[in-house]
Amino acid sequence: MSDVIDLVAPRLLGPAVMVAAAIIVKGYTDVGDGFSAGVIVALAISLRYVAYGTEGAERSLPVLRHAPVVAACGLLLALAVGFFPVLAGEPPFTHHPGPGEHVIKIGTLELISAMAFDVGVFLLVCGMLVTLVHHLARLVEEADG
Amino acid sequence: MCDPDGCTTVKSPPGGALAWTAVAFALAGFVVCLAAWLAGGGSIDIAWAPSLDLRLDFALDGLGALYALLATGIGTVVFAYGAAYLPLHLEHEGRPAAESRRFWLWMTLFMVSMVGLACARDLILLFVFFDLTAVASYFLIGFDRHRLEARGAALMALLVTGVSAVALLLGAVLLYDQYGTFSLPELFARARPGTNTAIAGALIAVAALAKSAQAPLHFWLPRAMAAPTPVSAYLHSAAMVAAGVLVLGRVHPLLALDQTVLDGLLVVGLVSIAVGGLLALVQDELKQILAHSTISQYGYVVVLYGIGGASGAAAAALYVVAHAIAKSALFMTAGAVTEATGESRLSHLGGLARRMPLLAAASGLAAATLAALPLTLGFFKDELFFGAARERGTTMAVMAVVAAALTFAYIARFWFGLFTGVRRTEPHAIPWLLVAPVVVLAAVALVGGFVVGPFAGLAGDAAAVTHGAPVDANPAYHLDARAVNVMAVAAWALGAAILLFARARDAVAGAAARLGDRFGPRRLYGASLRALNVYSDRLHDAEIRDLRNSIAAVLVPTGVLVALGVAFTPTRGSFTAGSIAAADLPILVLLVLCVAAAITVARDTGRLRPVLALSVLGFALAAVYAVVGAPDVALVAVLVETIFTLVFVGVFSRLPLPGRPATTAAPVGRRRRNVVAGIIAGGASFALIWSTLSRTSPNAGDARAQIARTREAHGGDVVTVILADFRGLDTMVEITVLAVAVIGVASLLHRGRNW
Repeated sequence: MSDVIDLVAPRLLGPAVMVAAAIIVKGYTDVGDGFSAGVIVALAISLRYVAYGTEGAERSLPVLRHAPVVAACGLLLALAVGFFPVLAGEPPFTHHPGPGEHVIKIGTLELISAMAFDVGVFLLVCGMLVTLVHHLARLVEEADG
Repeated sequence: MCDPDGCTTVKSPPGGALAWTAVAFALAGFVVCLAAWLAGGGSIDIAWAPSLDLRLDFALDGLGALYALLATGIGTVVFAYGAAYLPLHLEHEGRPAAESRRFWLWMTLFMVSMVGLACARDLILLFVFFDLTAVASYFLIGFDRHRLEARGAALMALLVTGVSAVALLLGAVLLYDQYGTFSLPELFARARPGTNTAIAGALIAVAALAKSAQAPLHFWLPRAMAAPTPVSAYLHSAAMVAAGVLVLGRVHPLLALDQTVLDGLLVVGLVSIAVGGLLALVQDELKQILAHSTISQYGYVVVLYGIGGASGAAAAALYVVAHAIAKSALFMTAGAVTEATGESRLSHLGGLARRMPLLAAASGLAAATLAALPLTLGFFKDELFFGAARERGTTMAVMAVVAAALTFAYIARFWFGLFTGVRRTEPHAIPWLLVAPVVVLAAVALVGGFVVGPFAGLAGDAAAVTHGAPVDANPAYHLDARAVNVMAVAAWALGAAILLFARARDAVAGAAARLGDRFGPRRLYGASLRALNVYSDRLHDAEIRDLRNSIAAVLVPTGVLVALGVAFTPTRGSFTAGSIAAADLPILVLLVLCVAAAITVARDTGRLRPVLALSVLGFALAAVYAVVGAPDVALVAVLVETIFTLVFVGVFSRLPLPGRPATTAAPVGRRRRNVVAGIIAGGASFALIWSTLSRTSPNAGDARAQIARTREAHGGDVVTVILADFRGLDTMVEITVLAVAVIGVASLLHRGRNW
């Protein structure tokens, strides 16, 4: 059991990020959204916590300590997308381009402002869950040690 | 949220730099407000959520300009004073200089919310800024948080002003219910006299009066003197307490629809003048004298709003300006004297005029302004006050003279006690910056005594907003025996008499103070707070006694409420049972699995097994979603279930190991209660879910319209489009809740450290 986790955990992060990216790219035309993508990445990271312990997981992936900042950036991005239209006199959460207007496409990716909102949700969910796992993992280790 | 390191390791900027940034910010605000006002004012109106009637409606009209200029102008001067005062204060208290950072942030936030309050023309906005000032004042009054007295004072100010602010919201909702708008200009146009309007007006007035420390809700202000002096000089002279009368001035056309409300204001104002004035005569602490004086002075303004009309409105506006300038200077004088001598009681001070001549002269001018002596701005405030009182009637005129006499007496006692007579405590040198702001404000008051035009013009414009028609306020010196002059002379004479007959004065005022101590509202506040604490403790103890109670405390009330809802709504057609086809077999199998897992959770006394059974339940439900064709929901359910299981196991490992299984020992009575609680909660949720599932028609609600418009929104997946576009605001609020929840976890586990 432990061997399987040791083997899978480090290798799962790459595919998980790929899946998350795919969900976001296809998100507006297919199943899944920023929330699901964020949870998938957070799950892969939690698996590393299970396999390596808090210390090990955070040493092997130093970028994790910026999770709260990532979450804050996500929140700000979502807020910005939602409320910038207010400055232009439109209702909040008016997305561009509007109905019937031309959309720039890169493959299946449509460049619309709702996409940026979804990315904001992704960053927030991912950052917050990793922060949560970090706190709980430390709690568990303090109880054990 | 700050950088993970920011809270602990990054060196804080030196307090001085931040202080001067705040001063510069306040000064810039003052200049901008002044320039905008001279350019003719202006307004911004953004309807940011039109479907909820929420708008950002600000106007720099006369009233807005007057209070915005006060908040930024006095703010500039007091902030400069604070830049010198705060380092000394922190040093006395033995605290690191870096703590001043918090002070300046709250001070600046306070100033900004005060300016916002001054310009807001919408009842909801008014409420938001009203409460923002209350929150900022809580942290400012409780700045010396290691002192129990300061914490209690901060809580008292927050509770008294914050709880009564709810009355403002209630009044706003009442008005919205009747007239369909929160916007004040529209309300003024639509509102008609009536019981509802009168009640709404009275509710708004209650909030405003509590904020302005009017009897019987005045008791928070004297205690708030536990705050550092710059806070008192700003909040308790020109800003926080002024917010109350600002709201009165702003909504006055609504109040004026009902004479009873205006008469109520008159009574409250007169009582406050008497209570504040009498108590100010017996206080020994310098700041206590000034605090009681503030209660009495805002009583004047409330009386003037109660008199109403053009003259009342103009007099109120000018009164606020003159009082704010003078009182702020006097608070700063008290702080400077205490800093120089280490003494804060009038009976231990005296004869400082020779050692601190500049401070004595400047604060003398400020005191003269308050006492309404000629050649200061204060003379005109009383001229207008007497004029308005005389219009109302002879009784009112007599009371006005007595009120002015009280003011003259207590402020003369304050100044003469400080600066003349025997020197009881030797002062030592203090920074010039503790004296200069007093001089600046005194100079303004003196200039106002000669060139009253600009002040009167501003007051007239403010009064025009309050009165709803152009007001011409033109106070001036008249060297003849007209009524207002006679009243002024009478007030000074009576005031001097009160000052001279010390024994009679102390007997009367002392008796009033003892009466207040024994029967005053402060006692009621203390008693109700204690009773509330006891009740809340009992409830809390019962709730957390064991896990069973914690769960029952949530589930049983929910079940009862849902059961009531089901009982009182028409249920025809909402509980239907369809037929079961062969294609539904997978769902049936999954649901049987759910039931088995649920029974395991309830019956198993182990630890890991119930958790795993719970997740089996969750995954089986996710599979049901997948089968009935909701892949988005199924995906989210699987992901959430996974992370939930992980977190659950993690938290469970933290719990202590159980000794013996508890269920065998449970008494019969308790088990019976468990059954009852379970039946209530389970039955109600069953009824709720059944009724929800009975309404599966795609026509219900706006689902069909949303599916139709998904293409237009450039989407293919209706759930995603709903989340990001149609109901984007809901998603925004939900992810914000997630952020707040995680911050809460961080606060509980690691004292608010983010990482």
